[in-house]
Amino acid sequence: MTRGSRAALLVVAPVVGVTAFLGAWEVLVRAGDVRPFVLRAPSRIVWFLGKHAGDFIAAARVTAMHASIGLLAALLLSVAVGAAMAASDFLDQATQPVLTLIMVTPFVAYIAPVVVWLGAGDPPALFIVTLLCLPAFTFAAVDGMRSADAASRELLASVSASRGEVLWHLRLPAALPQLLTTCRYNIGLALIAAYLVEGSNVSNRGLGAVGKRAAALNDADNLWATVFTMVLLGSIALVLLTIAQRYVLGWHVSQRRSGRHRRAPDTVRTDG
Amino acid sequence: MNAISLRGVTKSFDRRQVLAPLDLDVAGGQFVSIIGPTGCGKSTMLRIIAGLETSTTGTVSVHGRPPAAALAAKRVAMVPQQPGLLPWRTVEANARLLLDVNRRANTATVVPPVELLREVGLGDSLGLYPHQLSGGMQQRVALVRALALCAPLLLLDEPFAALDEITRADMRNLLNRLIEGRLIGEVTTVLVTHSVGEAVALSDRVLVVSPRPAHVVADISIDLPRPRSDDLDDDRTFVSLCGSVRRALRHGMSAAADRVD
Repeated sequence: MTRGSRAALLVVAPVVGVTAFLGAWEVLVRAGDVRPFVLRAPSRIVWFLGKHAGDFIAAARVTAMHASIGLLAALLLSVAVGAAMAASDFLDQATQPVLTLIMVTPFVAYIAPVVVWLGAGDPPALFIVTLLCLPAFTFAAVDGMRSADAASRELLASVSASRGEVLWHLRLPAALPQLLTTCRYNIGLALIAAYLVEGSNVSNRGLGAVGKRAAALNDADNLWATVFTMVLLGSIALVLLTIAQRYVLGWHVSQRRSGRHRRAPDTVRTDG
Repeated sequence: MNAISLRGVTKSFDRRQVLAPLDLDVAGGQFVSIIGPTGCGKSTMLRIIAGLETSTTGTVSVHGRPPAAALAAKRVAMVPQQPGLLPWRTVEANARLLLDVNRRANTATVVPPVELLREVGLGDSLGLYPHQLSGGMQQRVALVRALALCAPLLLLDEPFAALDEITRADMRNLLNRLIEGRLIGEVTTVLVTHSVGEAVALSDRVLVVSPRPAHVVADISIDLPRPRSDDLDDDRTFVSLCGSVRRALRHGMSAAADRVD
C-alpha cells in the first residue's frame, strides 16, 4: 500500500463514514418529519454548539480532566496490582473476584453515596472513573505480563535480575499492547462515568452537569450538544491513542507495515 | 582449579531419573561439547551447570563456587536455542540487555557490545529491531549479548539448531574466531548440540551422552590444531573424529535400547 493510499484510508475513510451516518440521520429527521423533542437534526445541534462554543469548551475541559486523570490513575494502579497478581497465584485468585465485582456492579447505584462521602467537586468523579477503569486494565496487565517470553525470563534469571528489573525490562513492555488496546475500551467508559458523576454532583461543572440540567428542563438543544461534545472528546482521545500506539508499539506486529515485516530467510523448523 | 566440577550429580523429575550419577571435570579455557539424541537430558545437564536447575543429588561447582553464586555474580553467560531477543529493543539495546540488569555484578573488563556487534558483522544494523533481522542475524545478537558479559563460562544450548546449514557453518566459524581471538578473555565453553560436525569443529572434548537416564558413554579428545580452519570438512582427522563420535552415539543408543528390552 502506498503512502498516499494509507493516508486516504486513515483520514478519508472515517470522515466518509461519519458524514454518511450524520447525513442519514439528517434525512431521517427531515423526511420522516420527526418532532424536535424526540430527535434533533444534526445540523441544528452543530449550529447550537457553534453558538455556545465557549460554554461547551469550558465544560468539555472539566470532563476531559476527570476522564483522563482517572484513566491514568487506573493505568498506574493496574500495573502495580497486575505485577503483584502475575507474581503470585494466591493474590491473583484473591483479587480476581473483587475486580469482577467492580466490573459488574451498576455504578450509577453508588454514585450518590460516593458524592456524599467525598463531597462536591472533582474527587467523586476521579474516584469512580479510576475504580471503573481499574479491572479491565488490571486483567490486561496480568495477561500481558504473563505472556512475556519464557526464554527471555530464563535469560534474565541467568544473570540474577531482580523482580523489579524483570518487571521494567520484560513484563511491562510485554503488557503494553494489551494495556493500550484496553485503553481504547476504557476511554469510553471513563468519559461516560465522568459525565454521569458530574450530573449527580452539586458543583455543576462539566458536560454531565450541563446534560443533567438540560434533561431536567427538557432542553433538548443543550442535551444533544453535550452528547455531540462527548463524541468529539472520545474521537480526539482515540486519535491520540492511535498516534501513541504507533510510536510506543512500533515494534509490535499490530503496528508494522507489511513491507517492513521481513521474514527471516535462514530460519528452519527444528524439533529441538 | 577446574572451571566446572560435577560429582555424583543426578536429576529426577517426578521420580523419573533423567540424569544417571555423573562425574565431570572441565578445565579452564576448554571447549566441551555434549552431544546426544533429542530428549536425552543434555540440556538438563547444562541448566544444572548454569544454576537454573538444582540437581537431585551430588555437588556442582563452577569456578570453585556453587552455580547459584556464580549466576548471581554474572560469571555464567548463556545462549539459548531461541535467540530470545526483546522485540521492543533495538539490536544494540538487546546486546546490552544483560549488562543493564544486576549492574553491581558487571565485571570491570566489559567489552562494549557495539564493538562486538561490529566484530560479528552487525555494525550497520545497530538501530534495527529483531523482526527486521534474519534468523542468523538474531542468533549473532544473542551470541554478542552473552559474550558482552565477559563471563569466564559460556553455555550454549543448541544455539544454531534453528538455522539452515550454510548459516550454521558461518556461525560455527564465527564462534571459533571470537573464542580463539580472545577478545573477551579466556572462556570455558560448554555446547549442547545435535550436530556431530559442529561438536568436532568447535571442541577440545566431545562428551557423547546416551538416552535417559543420561550418562556419558564416551569422552573423545579433539586433537585438531587451533586456530581451526573454516574448511575442516575435508580434513582427514576431522572426518575420522566425526566417525568416532557417530560410532559412540550409535553405541549409546543401542546400549539404551538393550536396557529397555
